[in-house]
Amino acid sequence: MEDASDGAIRVEIKGLWVKFGAVAAVRGIDLTAYAGRATALLGRNGAGKSTTMRVLAGVIPPTEGVVRVDGLDVSEDLLAVKRLTGYCPDVGGLVPRATPWEHLQLAARLRRMEGWEDRAQDLLERFELGDAAHRVTSGFSHGMGRRLSVILACFHEPAVLLLDEPFDGVDPLGVEATLEVIADARARGAAVLVSTHLRDLAMQACENALVLRGGASVAELRAHELVGEEGAGVYRALLD
Amino acid sequence: MSTAHSWTELRSSGRDLASLLAFRRAGLTASGHRRLRLMGLLVLALTVTAAVAPAYLGGDFPRKNSGNVLALLPSASLAFLLLATFTAVASAGGREVVPRDQAVAFPVSPTTDHLGALLLAPLNIAWIMQAWLLLGAASYALGPSRVWAYEIPVLLWIVAATALAQVAGWLAEGVRRGRHGIGIFRVLVVVFALALGSLIVTGRLAPVLDHSPTSRLLVLLLDTQAGYWWRWALGLLVLAAIGLAAVVVGAIPARWALQRPMREELRLESGHFPARPTAASDFVMMLRIDRAAVWRSVPLRRGMTVLAVMPGAVALAGDLEWRMLTVLPGLVASGGALLFGVNTWCLDGRGALWRDSLPVGPRTAFLSRVVVLMEVLLCSAALTLVLAALRAGRPTVPEAVALLCSTIVVVVQVIAAGMRWSIARPFAVDLRSARATPAPPVVMAGYSARLAVSTTFTGLAFSGLAELHDARYAVCAAVVFLCWSGWRLLRATRRWEDPAVRARVVATVAG
Repeated sequence: MEDASDGAIRVEIKGLWVKFGAVAAVRGIDLTAYAGRATALLGRNGAGKSTTMRVLAGVIPPTEGVVRVDGLDVSEDLLAVKRLTGYCPDVGGLVPRATPWEHLQLAARLRRMEGWEDRAQDLLERFELGDAAHRVTSGFSHGMGRRLSVILACFHEPAVLLLDEPFDGVDPLGVEATLEVIADARARGAAVLVSTHLRDLAMQACENALVLRGGASVAELRAHELVGEEGAGVYRALLD
Repeated sequence: MSTAHSWTELRSSGRDLASLLAFRRAGLTASGHRRLRLMGLLVLALTVTAAVAPAYLGGDFPRKNSGNVLALLPSASLAFLLLATFTAVASAGGREVVPRDQAVAFPVSPTTDHLGALLLAPLNIAWIMQAWLLLGAASYALGPSRVWAYEIPVLLWIVAATALAQVAGWLAEGVRRGRHGIGIFRVLVVVFALALGSLIVTGRLAPVLDHSPTSRLLVLLLDTQAGYWWRWALGLLVLAAIGLAAVVVGAIPARWALQRPMREELRLESGHFPARPTAASDFVMMLRIDRAAVWRSVPLRRGMTVLAVMPGAVALAGDLEWRMLTVLPGLVASGGALLFGVNTWCLDGRGALWRDSLPVGPRTAFLSRVVVLMEVLLCSAALTLVLAALRAGRPTVPEAVALLCSTIVVVVQVIAAGMRWSIARPFAVDLRSARATPAPPVVMAGYSARLAVSTTFTGLAFSGLAELHDARYAVCAAVVFLCWSGWRLLRATRRWEDPAVRARVVATVAG
């Protein structure tokens, strides 16, 4: 991704290892993400995409290696890193008996946001969740939950936007809104990382891709190299 | 449902239940298997001890208070039936062998669910203690002669009462899931409470209890001593038939109830919760979300209501003295912890990952969870004590101080234990359904036993201190207890602050 170096470095990962007991979920990944750029993390189940995202979100500590967000080390300045990132987890991501508005209120309070209500309302409307703003999320469909998770990740306009499976089970309008969120984030200079199994959508949203296999990176590619049938063949070959 | 059809379905459901149990067992680690076996053996050994030991350890026979114990046995048997019924009703028909969200891929029939709930009913410390009490009381009163003969009917009654309670549990759940079910159910509860209250106020409770159908059980027990073996054998057959019929017939209300929509849960999920102004501090905002997680959960709301009212009502009916009330806060606090406190991070459910990604210190999150748990336990204990105090007269200063100290101590004790367990053994649980529990049934049984032992010990210690003339003894003891529990709570906080530990808990809870 050498051509991306025109923007500032937002995310820098060097030799990241994450172990759960004897199992290594991530084995020495290196990754650099730049301001105004979107990078896709691709790979099969268990490739280490979500674990890498969780480390960047400050939810899982790295076992080895250096992980920096806007120059801050996640192992040393966790709270500051959490303020800089916006995270949409791969599973659930919503407190079951809180309403979307309460989720946004909590995020706004903890991030010291002022006058956030208009933006919150606008995002809810864009993702067609305005009518459900005051209902508890346990009654939400999977797609509604995914859409709200994307809203929560981008709500505070973070420097690093981490979207783990944001398109999973989401209808076309939700996908469109998510693509807009990614475009907006890039436009204001955020680095975006998108983990997904939907290669075509990933290539639509990102210009770079990092393919992971068995917890290690196997290739860094430009988006156009993974587009279409030819791209599908390239990607398929990298998975085995 | 024809008899032949019932039997076929029951047999098939029995096989399905065995498969579900094997599925649950497969999820256990080697140490889990070992612990389960040990626990099973321990319960079995204690049950045999409860059934046999009092016959030999109660002094020379005949004992002067055997008659009193025998006279109370019908009431105790009825109390067992009531307790089992309240448990089944409060848990919406009983626990699930495999939680609903995990069992959704499998064709689990209502009959299998019914049999599973029956099988899990004894995994409850209150049920076990009551069963031991019945076995022990019979053993103490009737002595070492023909122990096996008089304990068999007691065991059969325990089985039959549990099965009957299960039927009542399904019926209540079926009613509750009807169009106006919640209202009807509340009216039924109020009518029952008023009837019980009027019996207590008019002093007619004892005569009514004397005419309880469970007095037939006492006759059956005495038959073994008089040598009326034909009558005894016939009695056993009747008890066995009641139990078996309740097991078989229970499948009908189970199917009826389980096929109805979960109205209370759906009402909460589709309800509108108006926005409130943003809280003035991070902590208050966190606390608000945690409180919502508790008060908007059907099993937690039901559990707290039962917990706050039941022990107090029993104390009210039993006309307990002040010094004995010191045991009640422990009972209530233990029950409260078992609602969600033993796996407190499960309140966040699948939102745990997102919540942990927010910029707030782990200590704030921990403190918020401690406070919400403390609120639940203190409120429940206070309501229980208010009810229990109605007939207890005026307390002495040492009694009042001992009760206050006991309440504070057991609450902190239970919170420390709950927070430690929440970190050591988290579980991914969805507390949506009224049948949900914060941990698997076997684990819950272990937690409830440990909490019951520690809080009962504390309650009894303060009960003894209430008899002393100086209230300062109770205060000094409370300080010692609080220091110990406070230190354990502090240790749990430090564990939570470790990012690796927190990551494990959060990832587990989020599923």
